[in-house]
Amino acid sequence: MNVNDVLSYAFGAIKLRKLRASLTTLGVIIGIAAIVALLSFSQGLQDTITVQLQKGFATKTLIVSPKGGLGGGEASIPLLVSDTDTIEKIGENVSAAVAIMQKTCFINVNGRAFTINIVGVDFAKYQTIYESTFVAAKGNITSENDSVVIGARIHDPWQNGTIIADVDYMVNITWTKRSGTSPSQNKTYTGRITAVLKEIGGFNIGGPSDLGIYIPISQAQGFFETDECSAIVVLLKGDDKATIDSVSEAIKTAFNNQVSVTSATAVLDIISSVFSNIDFFLAGIAGISLLVAGVGIMNIMIVSLMERTREIGILKALGMKNQTVLMIFLSEAIIIGLMGSAIGIASGWGLANIVAKVGIFGGRIQGGNQAAAAATQISITPVLTPTVFLGAFAFGIIVSVIFAIYPAWRASKLKPVEALRYE
Amino acid sequence: MRVLENMAKIVEAVNLRKTYLLGKVPVEALRGVNLKVEEGDFLAVLGPSGSGKSTLLNMIGALDKPTEGKVFIENVDISTLNDDQLADLRRKIGFVFQFFNLIPRLTARENVELSMAIVGFGKSERRKRAEELLEMVGLKERMNHKPTELSGGEQQRVAIARALANNPKFLLMDEPTGNIDSKTAGEILTLVKKLNEEKGITTIVVTHDQRIASQAKRTVQMLDGLIVKDVMN
Repeated sequence: MNVNDVLSYAFGAIKLRKLRASLTTLGVIIGIAAIVALLSFSQGLQDTITVQLQKGFATKTLIVSPKGGLGGGEASIPLLVSDTDTIEKIGENVSAAVAIMQKTCFINVNGRAFTINIVGVDFAKYQTIYESTFVAAKGNITSENDSVVIGARIHDPWQNGTIIADVDYMVNITWTKRSGTSPSQNKTYTGRITAVLKEIGGFNIGGPSDLGIYIPISQAQGFFETDECSAIVVLLKGDDKATIDSVSEAIKTAFNNQVSVTSATAVLDIISSVFSNIDFFLAGIAGISLLVAGVGIMNIMIVSLMERTREIGILKALGMKNQTVLMIFLSEAIIIGLMGSAIGIASGWGLANIVAKVGIFGGRIQGGNQAAAAATQISITPVLTPTVFLGAFAFGIIVSVIFAIYPAWRASKLKPVEALRYE
Repeated sequence: MRVLENMAKIVEAVNLRKTYLLGKVPVEALRGVNLKVEEGDFLAVLGPSGSGKSTLLNMIGALDKPTEGKVFIENVDISTLNDDQLADLRRKIGFVFQFFNLIPRLTARENVELSMAIVGFGKSERRKRAEELLEMVGLKERMNHKPTELSGGEQQRVAIARALANNPKFLLMDEPTGNIDSKTAGEILTLVKKLNEEKGITTIVVTHDQRIASQAKRTVQMLDGLIVKDVMN
């Protein structure tokens, strides 16, 4: 019997039991759709995060921050603004270092008031490090003393043209000073907005943010009455591993291992390894549903085997060989696996896109708070890689076939006379 | 008058024994059967239920294996054949069953074509031959009907057409008229007799039907797993 005849015979058998075959196929569809939806969504998320990080966190940078501090007990030694000099002296691989000072303040601009982080930074140096993101969309980033630079979401929080802060607006920044046991005291700083940054989007670590408000570091030092900074961003001359490692080591040594040094590349590596673990986990969960579908296929094929025992007897009496009987049953599973995988991939892909558009993670991640209610848009576009596509296809078919092997083998081994006698 | 020496021996059973387990009770269906069938013969096997007729037919048709003894088909001992070789052998045997055993979802023509598809004939060739065979058994107009849309007699004629599709060495019929009315049974008998006489197709029929027995060239009477009478008509 040639392949065409085997396939059309198998197809005819499937067509006879449409409902049963569709339900079996549905099992495969659900499994494959789950795998494709989860993996393409996770791939999209990973791509988004990676791109955002590369944007907001140039790969040629290192971030030096005080050790500990966050839940890990007291920060070991404070990092000072002047420590940038120490770092810049480290060697030829360092091209610049900029200190960042961050404090939560109460802002008053154009009649609106909200709480947000104020970032003190050396504008000129910051611009050299983040040359693609610390860029003015309106106005000019100038280093006048009262100059204030704001992120795009401070300018237009809802992205609908409702401008709450613009170039030349005056900004009142109120900071509550606390020292020791003395009563708290409010200090106010007044600045003029000289620039609105172009939209950056998404996350950032150390780099400029759409929700940032920037003042010159010298002003920040005076206003906050401190030389302590929250981090120092170091611009390297190269982003190869050797440069990153040697500078990281040199910085740690210079500060007696009392600081931690984070590299963008290392963070990206960690994220990608975390994602591969997440993918594995997600694929595992989805794989279980496919396994259940496989058991369904096996179950249905054993039932079908019993119903068709007599038919198999007839085929054998007509001279059909064992392997042809086996092929007919396996073909039925392959057809189910093929249809299930194809429909599953399509519906999984559709599902991922629907979720991305309307769903759980899609929309907005609330970034501001209270009155500002500024939102940062992070849109995730699901990505269906060829690996996931082909892998899901192959997996669907392989699972279908594996679970069909036993029933098909049993069918092929039926003794003709017993099969014919079967009622 | 038949001249036995000149005729080729097509089937030979030697001391055939078959023991089944019916539950836990062993049942001796055949207890030492010897039979020779020559080419062109029309043999009717008669006997009450349980006398071992169908068991003998299954052995000759390579559908079942004897517990003891040997079956030779064209002088080949079929106990030496593996599953694939047995399948090849069955392609050269035309089976007709009491309950027709057509594939319900296939039309009459597709059922006839199926046996040729198994052997590996191409689509157009087998379609042409299926139509010729169905015309020969008088079912040309009904060939696109499914078995459920055909009467018992029509189904049996489809089964005969199917059995003839691959030019078998011989036809094995198990109660071919056992499940159809007597008028149709008469037509079937006429067809079988015509095939034997005109085309020289060797035919072995297991039956209760005395009319078939009277039309056959030779009748074999079985009782309790043994051949008790073997006569030429």
